[in-house]
Amino acid sequence: MTIHRNFFPAAFAAAVFLAHSGMAIAPLAAQEQEPPRTLVQGRGVELTTARCVICHDAQHITRAKLSREEWAFNVKNMIERGAPITPEEIPQIVDYLATYYSRDSAPPAESAAAEAPVAAAAEDPAQRLLTANACIACHAVDRRLVGPGFREIAQRYRGDSAASELLARKIRDGGAGAWGQVPMPPHPQLTAADLGLMVSWIMKQ
Amino acid sequence: MGLRDILSALRRPVGVHPGEKKIMSDKLTEHRHSDSGITVTRRDFITRVAGTGAAVAAGTAGFAALAQAQGAPKPQAAAAPKPPADPAGTISNDAVKAEKVPEMQYHSERPLTGSVSAEHHNYAVTPTDRMFVRNNLLTPDLSEATHKLTIKGLVDRELVFSMAELKKAFPAVTLQGMVECAGSGRQNFVPAASGTRWLPTGGMGCPRWTGVRLRDVLNAAGIKPNAVHVAGQGGDFGVIATAAPVIRSIPLSKAMDSDTLIAWGMNDGPLPKVHGFPLRLVAPGWVGSASTKWLHTLTVLDAPFKGTYMDSSYRIPKHPVKPGERMPKDAVSTEAWPVKSMITHPAPNVAFKVGKPVLVEGRAWVGEGDIDRVEVSFNEGQTWQRAMINSGGDKYAWRIFSFEFVPKNPGYTTVLARATDSRGNVQPMQSTWNPLGYFWNAIHRVGFVVET
Ligand code: HEC
Ligand code: HEC
Repeated sequence: MTIHRNFFPAAFAAAVFLAHSGMAIAPLAAQEQEPPRTLVQGRGVELTTARCVICHDAQHITRAKLSREEWAFNVKNMIERGAPITPEEIPQIVDYLATYYSRDSAPPAESAAAEAPVAAAAEDPAQRLLTANACIACHAVDRRLVGPGFREIAQRYRGDSAASELLARKIRDGGAGAWGQVPMPPHPQLTAADLGLMVSWIMKQ
Repeated sequence: MGLRDILSALRRPVGVHPGEKKIMSDKLTEHRHSDSGITVTRRDFITRVAGTGAAVAAGTAGFAALAQAQGAPKPQAAAAPKPPADPAGTISNDAVKAEKVPEMQYHSERPLTGSVSAEHHNYAVTPTDRMFVRNNLLTPDLSEATHKLTIKGLVDRELVFSMAELKKAFPAVTLQGMVECAGSGRQNFVPAASGTRWLPTGGMGCPRWTGVRLRDVLNAAGIKPNAVHVAGQGGDFGVIATAAPVIRSIPLSKAMDSDTLIAWGMNDGPLPKVHGFPLRLVAPGWVGSASTKWLHTLTVLDAPFKGTYMDSSYRIPKHPVKPGERMPKDAVSTEAWPVKSMITHPAPNVAFKVGKPVLVEGRAWVGEGDIDRVEVSFNEGQTWQRAMINSGGDKYAWRIFSFEFVPKNPGYTTVLARATDSRGNVQPMQSTWNPLGYFWNAIHRVGFVVET
């Protein structure tokens, strides 16, 4: 069993160790740390984020370590549940999952991931945040997906001096009612600085 | 559309592969939003979504870099994720959490999943604010005034009830019954199975439910001789139109059990929204997904319902597979929980004194049958002693066990509890590994400190 040091802190590693050491009964105190809220950088991360973080948290993935076979089964399962994924996208997503969330092998080192071509996608810090935090799973610039398009948001709030603060709060706390009944999930992990960057980028669309 | 068509439609798979043009039937995927009284079919959504086919890499149009970075041909006709056309309102996580005790631990935020650990379950009847939380989709905000329950399929007469009509038509029953998530305790499996990890003992509870017997309602509709399963469908929906509705079916034998209810009450109050307001099934003792929340339609079928939540989830291999292997073809649906117990007192790591009695308490239950005995061990299972159990009580309620332990020696001490059911099944040391991590029922163990 390989443990990615960034993802599985000591407490969890200890629980895994106990469980492996032949102790048949559940560990006495298994306090687990919260899994990361965003997917790790690597080839295919944008596509996987855009397709897999619509209905549920990225943590469904970051808490898991599965074999390639199991990931393939999981993706098939998610498509049955309604995930909008084309046949061409399946191998790209399974490759990403089986590379970075593998039960059988360590993910490539950080440096290798950084060299992957996806780095090119992330020049603009605001876009990088919108991608990493899965905003793109529900929002496009010029049309409505699950949530409103960024351009129509910018149009609605143009000239409204209170808008930046209101939108930052809405992104952090989530909620429904401004555009429809479907709620936006809360994003409590975002800092004020990150929220500010994203909101000013959105307002420029 | 005749009955045959409806039933064959019902049996077609729920999931649609966005790459495929094939669209499933209207009937199968209807989303009924009781608030509006409108029935919307997923066909509408899918056709509409497919119409936007030009919208290729969904959600990524503003990020040309993404398409480049993929270095792959542009994906074809990915359905852009669209919200359902006329969703009801939903209940926020904060609103749900406000009705729960601070001891509740949350295992995921979207969807919200929460449970309390064993020592916070030391109640004879699970209080509503300690009942575990688990949905597949969003929590809908439905209205009792407009809610309707339809019974259809292999019945002599299709019936539709308002809430008031349902309450008037049949005798009300109140009983205590277990509901436990199939994946309860999943975190104990090694290697880790995918899905909500829960706590070591898991997400379960044994509240009192009030409602009418499903049996009475089915009898009123008249069940055809070839009926074998009953499917429940609820008013929950996903953030996108293509999200498959959660439909589960149970065998007629369980549907006709006198303790299987269509419930509107929990612990003498109304059902909280998150637990299925205004109406839900309670198939006590069975995996939680059999107890459809926000229930609006019951369909009597001549075979188990075919759909992703029957055919790909909530399944275990018929014959155990090597840990880490994927689900084999011959898997079976999860139904009744195997025998299980947990120690609710003492809490882990509490200090006691040599010579002073420690009251060990816990709960034991089994999906079908009864608890025959519970034994405890204070030497890691070398020797076992019988605990007292409160036999009697409702058929599907957990049993309370207790044992007075007088520590003779100081030091760290553990207690193990092991239940045996009326069919002779004993809780195992380790539960059989299965790919989706269901039915963890191994012996529970708690450590505490004895001081001189
Ligand atoms: C249409 C909505 C939807 C989309 C899109 C989606 N999922 Fe899921 N997923 C679900 C539902 C519903 C569940 C079950 C409830 C839960 O645990 O949240 C689930 C559960 C999971 C689980 C837990 C294990 C299990 O089988 O229940 C994992 C892991 C997972 N999804 C991964 C993914 C990945 C990877 C993708 C992208 C390929 C994806 N999901 C896209 C709906 C979706
Ligand atoms: C699961 C889908 C989903 C995700 C992920 C998501 N949103 Fe939203 N977003 C929505 C929906 C739905 C709405 C409309 C909410 C409403 O009607 O009040 C919305 C609304 C908004 C609005 C307008 C708010 C208003 O009150 O007018 C902004 C700005 C926004 N989102 C930004 C973001 C950002 C930034 C992220 C990522 C950090 C993000 N969204 C992630 C679904 C999503």
